[in-house]
Amino acid sequence: MRNLLTFIAKYNNLIIFLILEGIAFSLLTSGNSYHNTRIVKGTRGLTRRIEQRASNARTYFRLREIGQTLATENTYLKNEIERLGRNETQFFSPLTDSVYQQQYIWSTAEVVNNSVNRQKNFFTLNKGVLQGLSVDMAVTSDRAIAGVIVGCSMNYSVVMSLLNLDFRLSSRIRSNGYFGSLSWDGIDISQAVLSEIPQHVTISVGDTVETTGYSAVFPEGIMVGTVSDFEKTGSDFYKITVLLKTDFKRLYYVNVIGNLQKAEQRELEKPYQ
Amino acid sequence: MINRILRFGLIFIILILLQVLLFNNIQFSGYVNPYIYILIVLLLPVEIPAYLLLMISFFTGLIMDLFMGTPGMHTAATVLAGFFRPYALRLISPRDGYEANSNPSMSVYGFKWFFIYTVVIVLVHHTALFYLEVFRFTDFLRTFLRVLLSSLFSITFILLIEYIRKAK
Repeated sequence: MRNLLTFIAKYNNLIIFLILEGIAFSLLTSGNSYHNTRIVKGTRGLTRRIEQRASNARTYFRLREIGQTLATENTYLKNEIERLGRNETQFFSPLTDSVYQQQYIWSTAEVVNNSVNRQKNFFTLNKGVLQGLSVDMAVTSDRAIAGVIVGCSMNYSVVMSLLNLDFRLSSRIRSNGYFGSLSWDGIDISQAVLSEIPQHVTISVGDTVETTGYSAVFPEGIMVGTVSDFEKTGSDFYKITVLLKTDFKRLYYVNVIGNLQKAEQRELEKPYQ
Repeated sequence: MINRILRFGLIFIILILLQVLLFNNIQFSGYVNPYIYILIVLLLPVEIPAYLLLMISFFTGLIMDLFMGTPGMHTAATVLAGFFRPYALRLISPRDGYEANSNPSMSVYGFKWFFIYTVVIVLVHHTALFYLEVFRFTDFLRTFLRVLLSSLFSITFILLIEYIRKAK
């Protein structure tokens, strides 16, 4: 007992150090997925207010740019309405119940905190569970993909950015339909890598890369970027560098897309996986 | 004594606000992010008890983690830096030792001493931080490059802040 006490007295600093590092590491290992850190969820409300202020100041300076983006998007949507409206004037359109047709539900949110300079980037939206957002919803910016929601509190959501080493996205080349897995290699924030495309496929620089609907998170056909470079690796697959369409340094307003039929699809697929 | 604590509290708050509102928004090319909040650990008095130093480092890191949404990374790195600080101070002690009741700042011990001190602590902190961030040893060299570049910027900004403090 006496020895133990002298030992503790002698090494008390080392012991405190180890305890504190232990706490830090337990946070680090349990928290990175964002799903189960109560501490982070509980306390982030405190820091939110400051972030919201800073974000307000930032967006104010970019109003012109934001206005332009929204205007282009509006034009696009108006065209879309025009196109759909014309379809409805056909005489013999099939009668379907719209309740069973809508698969995706869209919503908008503002980015209040963002980072691009880490290896595992996340950003925060100013909407949460109370506004109808939930985990696993897709986030797009200006009709190109930005990330996927990994955590929600009452009024805020954390999104795993595409610029995150843990992010995987099933995507395909629009011109030929071959799909592969897209991920970020942590080097350049404007580029990602598309792999698992077999080498017998013809690819050219400038081809559009878009999402597949396979994961039940992203709707089909949302743009990811364009092929900027490709090389043959030792295996049977290409290593394709994709120039991302989204500028992650300028995320202000984003769309959030929820899949209303995701649960159904997942449940059906479960026994076979 | 009370005066010093208040003064340090003020430095603490100012540095955290600077880091969160200003430096976290500086993003050069995806490689560089200066972390100047480590100056809080640097500026604590020389004779501070080690347990207090560690506790303050811990809470500094924890606050940064909360703001950046990174569970534990900054905490672990800052506690490590706090643990190393007494050894660094012993290693590079000035010829006639440390003055009683002094902060290890540039105005007291001069540029050259403070520069070496900063480099040592910032390198320890940034190395731990960036390797914890990727949490793997693939791309070892690229992470190392990020450590060096970010350290360069952090050190520059810390020295600048110290110059401004000294001039006051």
